[in-house]
Amino acid sequence: MNSQTLRVAPNPVWIIANKELKDSLRNRWVSVITFIFMLLSFSVTFAGSAISAELALPNLPSLITSLSTMTVFIIPLAAILLSYDAYIGEEEAGTMLLLLSYPLTKQQIFIGKLVAHSGIMLAAISLAFGCSAVAMLLWSEASSAAVISAFFQFIVSSSLLAVTFILISYLVSLHVSEKAKAVGTLLSLWFLLVLVYDLLLLALLVADLGSSSQALVNVLMALNPTDIYRAINLLAVDSPMGSLSLLADTAWGIELLYGLSIAWVACLAMLASQSFARKSI
Amino acid sequence: MHIEDLAVSLQAVSHQFGDFAALTEVDCALQPGQLLALLGHNGAGKSTLLKVILGLIDPSHGQVTVLGQRLSAHNRKPMNIGYLPENISFYDKLTGHELLSYFAALKGVGQVRVNRLIEEFGLQYAQHKPLKGYSKGMKQRLGIAQAILAEPQLLLLDEPTVGLDPQASEFLYQKIQSLTQLGCAVMVSTHELNLIEPQLDVAMVMGQGRNLATGPMDSLVKQSQLPVTIRFDDMIRRVTRYNHLAAFYHNGALRCPVAETESLVEYLTTQCHIFDFEIEKPGLSALYQELMAPMQQNDEQGIVFQPVNQTVLVGA
Repeated sequence: MNSQTLRVAPNPVWIIANKELKDSLRNRWVSVITFIFMLLSFSVTFAGSAISAELALPNLPSLITSLSTMTVFIIPLAAILLSYDAYIGEEEAGTMLLLLSYPLTKQQIFIGKLVAHSGIMLAAISLAFGCSAVAMLLWSEASSAAVISAFFQFIVSSSLLAVTFILISYLVSLHVSEKAKAVGTLLSLWFLLVLVYDLLLLALLVADLGSSSQALVNVLMALNPTDIYRAINLLAVDSPMGSLSLLADTAWGIELLYGLSIAWVACLAMLASQSFARKSI
Repeated sequence: MHIEDLAVSLQAVSHQFGDFAALTEVDCALQPGQLLALLGHNGAGKSTLLKVILGLIDPSHGQVTVLGQRLSAHNRKPMNIGYLPENISFYDKLTGHELLSYFAALKGVGQVRVNRLIEEFGLQYAQHKPLKGYSKGMKQRLGIAQAILAEPQLLLLDEPTVGLDPQASEFLYQKIQSLTQLGCAVMVSTHELNLIEPQLDVAMVMGQGRNLATGPMDSLVKQSQLPVTIRFDDMIRRVTRYNHLAAFYHNGALRCPVAETESLVEYLTTQCHIFDFEIEKPGLSALYQELMAPMQQNDEQGIVFQPVNQTVLVGA
């Protein structure tokens, strides 16, 4: 048959990423996530103003600490809901089998999906919390450099947390037999990592177990990406509050914490990519 | 015909899923422009065979050559193959046009072809509506359009008519016929024997992962033990007049083995001067039933079926 219409496909990764983006936009996920983040961001930024009936923005460390305390719950949940069906959904619909029959590699499919989902989370986080940054730049007494630096750290660490949970969702999505099981497993994981683990770690910290247990706390913190996220944001603003301040007592610098966060992303990306490569459809 | 010239050549292909033998010593050859009907019960190995041909499964044993290329899952090369999996539901949020454009982009096919196919498949009126509003028939039409986007040399369709109304099924087979006329080799896995029988060039019947029979209908009928039926007016009176015919008379018709049809017809015309008879050869459905009968008996007794040597290689 005539095969003159066949051309070399432009870039399969972008084609897949573009389709995923379109799908998420149609699902209204992007707008819902952005709206929730924005609501959260403005509530925390302008809560003081509502109470005092005049424009009163919190100081920068308090704001970042408050924001990160909230986002540590919301960002993983949003990432899970965005990507839980990335693989099992396509498998159930039969489209994964079809995609694999195309001149594509599994790696291209994997990267395409990851680029789209990470891009959506990055855009939502940047837009929502960027607005708070603008408000702080306009009306707070903090220096512009401090505001930009603090929010940049916050957006980068939040995005890393989001990508971590997107990859956890991929791993689960690749190992379950139906979408409902993916949601159930991921919500259990969220509950464990974000609530239970964190509470246990904080309980351990406030129990005053002595300096010898700090190494154990550090290891326990490194084992949970949400605690790394908390610690990064506490260290970044250099003014931790309450029991959370103990998390910032890691003796690990912010660079090492970022390194740990990136290592989580890299390890999960490798694991998920290998799982997909080995998976028979 | 050389293997390189065949659209598909399978030689002693076997595949195991753990302890389960999904395919056992399967041979098959499909020429360009032929339609092969892949038949068999659920779990017979049809879908696995299609995945082997697509290079998605590396068989445990045997040689797979598709469009002249030796194939393995570890060494997949882009080939011009169209495929429609069974029970596909696509992406509900995309429109028909977006879906075809997406797959077209992945195959490096331009928008002109997408628009032409949308028109050809009668989907213009719904092309900008989300797929969740499409009927099963519309989705299947879109699925076929997707499969032929790049004008494939080989088209693999896994149960494409399931859930379709007769009109939609007929439309689909018309499309398949026009594709084979253009030289595209088509392999269709189906349970709808009556629909595919008038179209097929080669039938391949599978059971328990084995190739029970492959070949053109005529060859398979000749090899089968099924009788040919001959009918003519006023049969009983004429049969009693000619003693030789009584030997073939059974349940209101003459029945004879395929091999004896020619001599019986000659006897009818020369000795009995009967010219107004009608010959009914066994159809695909009867053939299928005959091939499956020993398997069903063995299934009931828990015996693994060993096929008789009925395989006919076509074009090899």
